[in-house]
Amino acid sequence: MNFTQAFKMAAKSISANKGRSALTMLGVIIGLAAVIILVSYAQGQNMAMRAYYESMGTNTINVSASSYRGDVDIGGALYDYCLQLDDLVVGVSPTGYLYSDPTIKFGSKTISRQWQSMGGGAMMSTGQYPNLILGNDKYGLCNDYVIAQGRDLSYLDVEKESKVCVLGSAVAEELFGFADPVDKTITVNGTPFRVIGVYESKSGTINVGGGEDAQWIKDSINRQDYIILFPSTMTRLFNNNQPIDQYIIKAKDAEALKEVTTLVNGFLAGFISQDNGYYYIDNPTNYQNEQAEADKLQQRFLGGIAAISLLVGGIGIMNIMLVTVTERTREIGIRKAIGAERKSIIVQFLIEAAMICGIGGIFGILAGYLGTLIVGKMSFQTILLPSAGITVGAFLISVALGIVFGLYPAVKASGLQPVEALRAD
Amino acid sequence: MLIDIKDLYKIYHEGQESEVRALDGVTLQIDRGEFVAIIGQSGSGKSTLMNILGCLDIPTYGDYHLDGTDVTELTDKQLAHIRNKQIGFIFQGYNLIPALNARENVELPLIYQGVGMGQRHDRALEALERVDMADRAGHIPSEMSGGQQQRVAIARAIAARPPIIMADEPTGALDSKTGRQVLEILHSLHADGTTIILITHDNGIAATAERIVRLSDGKIVADGTREEVGL
Ligand SMILES: Nc1ncnc2c1ncn2[C@@H]1O[C@H](COP(=O)(O)OP(=O)(O)O)[C@@H](O)[C@H]1O
Ligand SMILES: [Mg+2]
Repeated sequence: MNFTQAFKMAAKSISANKGRSALTMLGVIIGLAAVIILVSYAQGQNMAMRAYYESMGTNTINVSASSYRGDVDIGGALYDYCLQLDDLVVGVSPTGYLYSDPTIKFGSKTISRQWQSMGGGAMMSTGQYPNLILGNDKYGLCNDYVIAQGRDLSYLDVEKESKVCVLGSAVAEELFGFADPVDKTITVNGTPFRVIGVYESKSGTINVGGGEDAQWIKDSINRQDYIILFPSTMTRLFNNNQPIDQYIIKAKDAEALKEVTTLVNGFLAGFISQDNGYYYIDNPTNYQNEQAEADKLQQRFLGGIAAISLLVGGIGIMNIMLVTVTERTREIGIRKAIGAERKSIIVQFLIEAAMICGIGGIFGILAGYLGTLIVGKMSFQTILLPSAGITVGAFLISVALGIVFGLYPAVKASGLQPVEALRAD
Repeated sequence: MLIDIKDLYKIYHEGQESEVRALDGVTLQIDRGEFVAIIGQSGSGKSTLMNILGCLDIPTYGDYHLDGTDVTELTDKQLAHIRNKQIGFIFQGYNLIPALNARENVELPLIYQGVGMGQRHDRALEALERVDMADRAGHIPSEMSGGQQQRVAIARAIAARPPIIMADEPTGALDSKTGRQVLEILHSLHADGTTIILITHDNGIAATAERIVRLSDGKIVADGTREEVGL
């Protein structure tokens, strides 16, 4: 007996027992749809969080440190200390913000902070206003910015207090449109600054997917394109020479990051005590790791539920295959009396089981797609679709289920003596 | 000698209080081309004997040589081949597969022989022709009368052109007229050289056989022509 024949035979007996076949398929359909929906949901959710953390820069720590004593230059000391750790640290940069909200102009284009009265003397900022940052030549590197045009800040720009700036892509677009901003001069509260470079857009390259936090994450990443970076020494011009008390340190890798965190902590502890200042080390990678841990837990949990539903589907298949064999014992007897070998009976039942599960699998996948679309719409407000890998994997699992759970009944059926099988009714 | 059995026993629940000796030391030889009727009261062991002869069951003790081969030594697979090629079985209850139509049922032994589709169709139709059922080739069993189903079952038994046909009360469920038709088919197969072994409890039908074997309590109590057996 050849395979085509066996397939035809299986198709015949599936359609001859429509009710029972449908019942078996239902188990597979529910199992598979559950797996697809749960896995897609988990992926949808994790994608957004991952994108968020990636946009914040990898392997970085943020340090806030300040001394109440005027004569201690923590920034300089920390900078020098990090330079000594050059086998662990890629870069370190102060992260300062402009306290005033200067008006920025290029030609007829103006960006200024818009205020709106909220009544009772309260004011609220409206519209977009860029993030004006004071940093050094390593600021871009530490924050995963990449130069698109021109050049980044240099050490000399900082040393010489050059009146230069680097623009985020969103600011460049707003002020210059499609024109090349490099070597153009903008004014900040009337002071001319030469634009030396433009950063690549971060939002363009990061896929945030459709998670719950997608909009917030998107906004947060977009805001990272809406910056202007000035040399940190401009604090003299903009902030009355107030010292910058925040720093970002980028380590070589996750391993180095741990070491740097410990070392910097020890270094600052030796410098600052509770009564002469404060320091605080923030490690975004920690959140990232915690998030990854949580993702893993969630995936395991959902995977467990999915496995259980597949198992239930599988037991359903086995159960119905056993019923099938019992119901069709006489048929098996007839086939054996006519000369069917054991092998032919096993192959027939296996193909039947695989076919029922395969067909069920296709419907299960359709149901899974539908369910994923609905879940995506409801919890992520977006079009979420299962990945190709999940789809193919799910189909293979469903056919494998049929074969695995069909094997026992098939072997059992094939082992009957013809006369015993014929006695059944 | 086509069929040669010696001291054959089939004992159920051996050694227990409920022990049944369905066959209690049967010795029997059947030659190629014979038409043998096996008669006896219900429970005398006719079906048990036939199932063992047809390789559907195995004896508890005893020898069985089919065409010179010791059947008790054969593997499962070899037995399947014998059932497929050497023996055509006809049952009282027809035993057609309900989901398959007449032609598909008749094709089954050919499928297990690996006969290609075109040839299979032809030979199935030929066999149906032989029992005058070719016009019902597309009907499933539930659309046919008992006599028609039995004729399809005969077509299935002869489709692979086996040298031996074994029929266990093939007319038992039929009225006497359709029973006669079935008997006629068996006789025409016999005329073509097929060895026929027929179980019946109808003395009229048994009387048409050239040799009659009477069983009683698992033993052969008479074996010979109609006159010798006393029918
Ligand atoms: N599977 C079985 N288990 C126990 N006893 C059986 C079994 N099959 C047949 N028998 C017994 O063997 C005897 C012969 O049965 P059988 O060959 O069917 O008789 P017949 O066909 O002549 O009516 C009967 O007494 C029957 O009850
Ligand atoms: Mg009987």
